Amino acid sequence: MPVALYVHVPFCASKCAYCDFVSVPGSVDSADVDSFVGAVLRTLRQDVEPEVLADVPTIYIGGGTPSMLGADGLVSLLSGIAEVAHVRPDAEITVEANPDSVDAALVEALAELGRELTPAGVLRVSLGVQSFDDDVLRTLGRRHNAAATTGALALLKNAGVRVSLDLMCGIPGQSPESWRATLDTAVASGVGHVSVYPLTVEEGTPLARSVDSGQSAEPDADVAADMMETADEILHQAGIERYEIANYARPGQESLHNTGYWTGVEYLGVGPSAASMLSVRTAAKTFLERDLGLVSACTASEMPLEPGDIVSRVRFVQPPSLDEFLSGACSESVESEWLTANEASREDAMLGLRLCRGISVELVQEANVTDVIKRLEADGLLERAHEAGAVDRWRLTRRGWLVANEVFGAVWTQE
Amino acid sequence: MTEPTHIRNFSIIAHIDHGKSTLADRVLQLTHTVKARDMKEQVLDSMDIERERGITIKAQAVRVLYEAQDGQTYQLNLIDTPGHVDFTYEVSRSLQACEGVLLVVDAAQGVEAQTVANAMMAMNAGLEIIPVINKIDLPAAEPERVRREIEEGLAIPADEAVLTSAKSGIGILGALEAVVKRVPHPVGDANGPLKALIFDSYFDTYRGVVALIRVIDGSVSKGMSVRMMATNTVTDVEEVGVRRPANVPIDALGVGEVGYLVTGLKDPSQVRVGDTVTLAEDGATEALPGYREVKPMVFTGLYPIEGDQYPELRDALDKLQLNDPALIYDPETSHALGFGFRVGFLGLLHMEVIKERLEREFDLDLLATAPSVEYRVTKTNGEVFQIHSPQDMPDTVSTEMIEEPYFKITILVPPDFVGAIMELCEGRRATFKDMQYLSKTTVEMHYEMPLAEVIMDFFDQLKSRTKGYASLDYEFIGYQRSQLVKLDILLAGNPVDALSFIVHKDHAYDRGKVLTAKLREIIPRQMFEVPIQAAIGGRIISRETVRAIRKDVLAKCYGGDISRKRKLLEKQKEGKKRMKAVGTVEVPQEAFMAILKVDE
Repeated sequence: MPVALYVHVPFCASKCAYCDFVSVPGSVDSADVDSFVGAVLRTLRQDVEPEVLADVPTIYIGGGTPSMLGADGLVSLLSGIAEVAHVRPDAEITVEANPDSVDAALVEALAELGRELTPAGVLRVSLGVQSFDDDVLRTLGRRHNAAATTGALALLKNAGVRVSLDLMCGIPGQSPESWRATLDTAVASGVGHVSVYPLTVEEGTPLARSVDSGQSAEPDADVAADMMETADEILHQAGIERYEIANYARPGQESLHNTGYWTGVEYLGVGPSAASMLSVRTAAKTFLERDLGLVSACTASEMPLEPGDIVSRVRFVQPPSLDEFLSGACSESVESEWLTANEASREDAMLGLRLCRGISVELVQEANVTDVIKRLEADGLLERAHEAGAVDRWRLTRRGWLVANEVFGAVWTQE
Repeated sequence: MTEPTHIRNFSIIAHIDHGKSTLADRVLQLTHTVKARDMKEQVLDSMDIERERGITIKAQAVRVLYEAQDGQTYQLNLIDTPGHVDFTYEVSRSLQACEGVLLVVDAAQGVEAQTVANAMMAMNAGLEIIPVINKIDLPAAEPERVRREIEEGLAIPADEAVLTSAKSGIGILGALEAVVKRVPHPVGDANGPLKALIFDSYFDTYRGVVALIRVIDGSVSKGMSVRMMATNTVTDVEEVGVRRPANVPIDALGVGEVGYLVTGLKDPSQVRVGDTVTLAEDGATEALPGYREVKPMVFTGLYPIEGDQYPELRDALDKLQLNDPALIYDPETSHALGFGFRVGFLGLLHMEVIKERLEREFDLDLLATAPSVEYRVTKTNGEVFQIHSPQDMPDTVSTEMIEEPYFKITILVPPDFVGAIMELCEGRRATFKDMQYLSKTTVEMHYEMPLAEVIMDFFDQLKSRTKGYASLDYEFIGYQRSQLVKLDILLAGNPVDALSFIVHKDHAYDRGKVLTAKLREIIPRQMFEVPIQAAIGGRIISRETVRAIRKDVLAKCYGGDISRKRKLLEKQKEGKKRMKAVGTVEVPQEAFMAILKVDE
């Protein structure tokens, strides 16, 4: 079975106010890069059997700021992975980058890596743009400005690297005009993939503290909803269609890796706080079996199973500490969760509904959520898809799109 | 049995928080009644909730032996009483068992409303009152001012007031000496037929109803056949004893003595507080005076949040009632909330305490509707009946008149706040009666006011408008006719019975407006727009709208950390469960209490 690969790079030049992803702020020298890349490769060699990595369809280098690894770091990381794992020749490889850490050397190295590692596939750069408005970027505590983004985009375009832009809306102080301008600029740049995220106040971030103390305005959900609708409209007019709650692409440029998350593709996450989802069969070929024993790990899990339940899926998250990861001592303290076949189906149904193409009637039956789906249809949140070739599918309605938590919660809890 | 001359029966009375329970603790310590290692705060308050809140809910009696300065040993019976106005009846019964009281007054706070109320009760019962000025070691203590307040405001001589700090153990012996010297010893007819006052009772799972008694005449011992005079119940005494504070059986209780009596009865309603115990045969012909039935004054609907907990709620109420005959309840059905009970309480504190005990001791999740009072309705056909719930209010056409309970309100407050009190009371349909300066620092104000207005957050408002200085006491005076109407609340077009309330005609419009606005804040946005309307009869008097949710979606990918996403969804779902689904609308519990907060 194919297993996708995620690597979490926990370095950032500085922390943005809203971000709660695991990363260590500050500069990174070549020793840091070497020890991190070394730890990733060692993990792949030691913690999983080669079989697990025998058919890697997608690789996602996320963070943090992976571009902080620099051209050499990314080359040694990706080439190293290609030595340990069998990466499909048509694989999709994505590297996240911030505009301020994109330079000619990095772009050239990535373009070369793409040609080498995935000759029939694609190497993408997911660029953390967020906005083309410098005032908004300052509010977010971003290091770059719009000019840096324009420069980075030009470099990437010239090198023929496929680009995706991350944009953020619903930011206090961001006007509808600013948002439209950002969308227009994104479209004009010619990219084929855009992600649109409303600003979320995450617990424990500087933004949360600032909102709690009344220094920052709380993001307004209604404003965010308007902006998400604006994005849908403007991108659609440019031929960039929404294919998931927050993701838009020109046909054929959808992210395979992220689509995998919503469609039950197994993935292995490496690095601090990286998340994995494996079938029990695959998990048995990892450190989970070797170090913990599936059975004992199972009893220690948060979702205790009843006798007779058949575990079908394992989710686990690596501990957040970089030091722990570098010392290789992390396997004992992963947080794992064990799902039965029915839970796995419900999860697939819940996640599949994020996609505009929705989920099949068969999956609805398998997950045993037919009644819930009918109620959500009556509430106007779900509909049957009617396009040719996709008749027997359920998907979110336009209204359901922005209030999808109601749908996800209902499907997951079967209530 | 001890000679009556060497018995002193006394109680400690005080305004809440003036140090009554701490003083009792010190008395037990000093007389070695409780071993040092068993000592904890508020020894006599055995319920968790009493300790946590620092209040006494159940009366207690404990016997201590004290070797006085005259070299003789005295039997002192300390009767600890509830300090809150809700339990006034219990206090008055407890006082009947005593010859004297220690009137504890906080050296900084001075005389407060329940100081006055309790002192009056003690005076009316003809008891010796020994003022105790407590907390004298507080930086803000002003014992001389307080002494004047006691003398001027209560007309109690205070030149021999005992100065104590119960907390630091100062002056405790002085208090005990004063009890021995100044409280009269009990007097009774040792040869007469048994006559004993029941001043409290409790239910023991193994032994049935246990009565706390004070023997007036004769004596009582194990095996005697006795009669409860008010309920005419005859039983054989299974055991008599004294509380130290654990039960210690003894042979007999004689004239003037205080102790417990294991009745062997299983039905608490047969052993009423205030009743007289006498011999089954050739007993006393006349009961001790003052017995009356306690009547609940405040009513609320209690509903299990999970409908299937209804039987558990019923069992829990049954169990609590064994120890609390003042608690009454009847099944009630609400369209909005399902099956529950209409429960009657002595007052708001009693209500809070019972609800908390039901939730803690019986692990129930309860939803309480806004409290109501007992209205007396006269129909045009002459029929008269009581209603405890707005739901039972008949239509206006067939109603001749409605009467509601009125209370006499006593407020003690520093003169600076008189204006604030007047303003608050005016908005509460209160009639000003009189006002009197107890001292330079304290004014006593009297109002007559409908109980319905007292239970509407009046106490909290009183406190917040007087920086916590005002204290309150109240007493039932009778029923008065009022122009009352039922105000209905509609959510998404459907009347929600549990949100209806009865209000004076002149206030209906304002309260309706404020309440709909309040509900708009409390009811979260939902998938659909929710109109909130207030109506009298069929007429809509105000309307607010909770807009539909526009955005509720986790857009971020969290690097594929689906477990985290799922947990967020589960948390959201859990939050919804704490709300009550009323039709299609999810209503948070506090919405049902919103009417109490209309003054905020």
